[in-house]
Amino acid sequence: MEEIMTTSQGCESDMDCSDNECYEDYYNINDDSDIEQVDPRKVDPEYFEFKCLYEEEVDRLLNETVETLSNILHIPPSLAKVLLHGHQWNIEEVTRKYHDNPSNTLITSKIEPVTTHSNIIMGRYMCCPVCVMPHPVDKFHSLTCGHLFCRDCWTMHFEVQINQGISTGIACMARECDVLAPEDFVLRHLTRPNMREKYQQFSFQDHVKSHPELRFCPGPNCSIVVHGREIKAKRAICTQCKTTFCFKCGCDYHAPTDCQVIKKWLTKCADDSETANYISAHTKDCPKCHICIEKNGGCNHMQCYNCKHDFCWMCLGDWKSHGSEYYECSRYRENPNIAHESVHAQAREALKKYLHYYERWENHSKSLKLEEQTLGKLRSRINQKVMSGLGTWIDWQYLFTAANLLAKCRYTLQYTYPYAYYMDAGPRKELFEYQQAQLEAEIENLSWKIERAETTDRGDLENQMDIAEKRRTTLLKDFLDV
Amino acid sequence: MAALPRRIIKETQRLMQEPVPGISAVPDDSNARYFHVIVTGPEDSPFEGGLFKLELFLPEDYPMSAPKVRFITKIYHPNIDRLGRICLDILKDKWSPALQIRTVLLSIQALLSAPNPDDPLANDVAELWKVNESEAIRNAKEWTRRYAMDN
Ligand SMILES: [Zn+2]
Ligand SMILES: [Zn+2]
Ligand SMILES: [Zn+2]
Ligand SMILES: [Zn+2]
Ligand SMILES: [Zn+2]
Ligand SMILES: [Zn+2]
Repeated sequence: MEEIMTTSQGCESDMDCSDNECYEDYYNINDDSDIEQVDPRKVDPEYFEFKCLYEEEVDRLLNETVETLSNILHIPPSLAKVLLHGHQWNIEEVTRKYHDNPSNTLITSKIEPVTTHSNIIMGRYMCCPVCVMPHPVDKFHSLTCGHLFCRDCWTMHFEVQINQGISTGIACMARECDVLAPEDFVLRHLTRPNMREKYQQFSFQDHVKSHPELRFCPGPNCSIVVHGREIKAKRAICTQCKTTFCFKCGCDYHAPTDCQVIKKWLTKCADDSETANYISAHTKDCPKCHICIEKNGGCNHMQCYNCKHDFCWMCLGDWKSHGSEYYECSRYRENPNIAHESVHAQAREALKKYLHYYERWENHSKSLKLEEQTLGKLRSRINQKVMSGLGTWIDWQYLFTAANLLAKCRYTLQYTYPYAYYMDAGPRKELFEYQQAQLEAEIENLSWKIERAETTDRGDLENQMDIAEKRRTTLLKDFLDV
Repeated sequence: MAALPRRIIKETQRLMQEPVPGISAVPDDSNARYFHVIVTGPEDSPFEGGLFKLELFLPEDYPMSAPKVRFITKIYHPNIDRLGRICLDILKDKWSPALQIRTVLLSIQALLSAPNPDDPLANDVAELWKVNESEAIRNAKEWTRRYAMDN
C-alpha cells in the first residue's frame, strides 16, 4: 500500500463560473501561476495527506527510526527504542537531550539507575532473592541497575507482566527500582513462542500509540495504521475498512470543532442526557392546525399532511420566512442583560442555551440516520425502475451522489453546533452563525429536493448540490483551524 | 496441588520463627497459600486496643504477583472500603517480587497508624477525615470498640 491517500474532493471541474465566488477562486489560483499545480491545501480546507500502512510497513518505519538514532548516538538499537518510545519518537529532541546530558537522559528515560547496585559475589553459587533458591552464578542476570535475579525468575516475571498486557513498561524486579527492561533483554528470557509473540504484539501497540504520526484505525477488527504527514485534526479514511475518523484524536471526525471542544461537548451531553431526554421527540404538533405530525424523513422543512402548512421542525416557524436572507433558526439569542439577573435566572438561561444547541445537534444526527433510510428506499425504487427498463444505473447515479453529498454536508452542519456553543460572543461568532444559517438553509433545500428526487429536475438538483457544498467549504475555510 | 515453592516455605518459616511485633500470620491447615492474619491496632492510633482479622492469599504466580489481602473485621479507615479491600500501592502497581508477606503486613500496620485520606478508597470516610478529622477519629474509635474488641 504505497499510494498516498488524501481526503480532498479536489477542484470541481464542472463548476459554474458565473457567480462572484467562483471568480474569486479563479483569481486566487492564478495568483500562484508560477506553480504548475494548485496547492490543494488552499482549495480544500479538509485536505489531508496520509498513508494506510500494514503492520510490516509500520515495523519497517519504526525500525528505520531506531536504526538512525542508534547510529547517531552509538547506542544499541534496543536502548534507542526505549529512548524514542519515551520521547514520542522525536529523534531531534532525543539527540539534543542526549548531547546536552547523556547520563541524565538515560536516567530519566529509565534506561540507567540513579545509583548502581554493586554485588559482592563469593563462590560459585548464589541465592536468588525472589525464589530463594541457590543457582550457579552464571544463571544470574541484571539490568543496568545491577539487581541480580536468576534466569527463571526473570522469565516468570516477564510472563506475568505480559499476561497483564504490559510490555514496554516492564521494570526491574527489585524494590523501588524503575529501570525498564529493554526489548532484547526481555526476548532473551522468553522461551515460549506464544509469549514472545504476545510481547511483540503489545510492544508494537505501545510504540504506535506513542508515535504522534501514527494512529490505529478505530474500525472494528481493523489492523491498519494510518500514517499522517502532519499531526492535525483532519479527516482520515481507512482504505481497508472505510472507517472515517479524526486523525489527531481517533474519534469520529468533527470539523469545524476541534478535538478538545468536541470532547468537552460529548462529555457534557453524556452528563446532561437526562435533562435533554425530553426533547428527543419523534412527533410534534402542526403549529397551524395542531394535528400530530411524525417525522419520518431527514428534512427539517416539514409540510403538514393535513393543512399543507410549511414549517420548520426545529423552531416550528413558518418555512417561508426561513429561506430569507437572515435565517434565525440556528442562532441562539442571548439575553444581553443576563449578568444583572439573579443566579436562578442565569442558571435557567444557561440551560436554555445548552438545550438550544443540543437540540439542533441531536436533530441533525437523527436526520442523518433518517436520510440514510431514505437512501435505502430510493435505492430499491431505482432498482425497480431499472429493472422495468426506465433508464440505466448510470442514469440514476447522480441521485446517489446527491444523497452522499447531503450526508457530508449535514455531518459538518451537526458539528457546527458544539463549535458555536463554546464560541465567545462577538463579530466572529456572528460571521460563523451567518454562515451556519446559510449552510443549514441550503442543506434543507437539498434534502427536500432529494426526498422528491423523481419529480425534481436533475439540473435543479445538481445546482442545489453545488450551492450546499460551496457553503460547507466556505465555512470550513474560514473556521476549520487545525 | 503443586508442590509449594521454596520461597513460600521460607517465608512461612520465618514468619513463625520471628513474627512481626503486633502481627500474627498463620497458614491454613488445608491450604498453605492462605493465611489467617491478626493485626493489633497500633498504639496512639484510633485503632488501639483492637484486634483486626485479615485474610491473605498467595496467588499461583506469587511472588511475581502481589498477595491478595483483605480485612475481615469491619474498620473505619479512609483507605479500606466496606468490603475490607485495601488501597495500598505495593499491593498494586508498586508491587515488586522482592517484597514479602512480612513487608506487606508491616505496610498495612503502618497504614493504620497513618491513614491517607488523599488517596481514598472509602470516599465518605476520606471526606470526613479531611473536613472533620476529630469526628472521623471518634467514628474510627467507636468502630474499633464495636467490631474489633472482645471477641
Ligand atoms: Zn530466582
Ligand atoms: Zn533494578
Ligand atoms: Zn480500518
Ligand atoms: Zn479530533
Ligand atoms: Zn397542519
Ligand atoms: Zn427553524
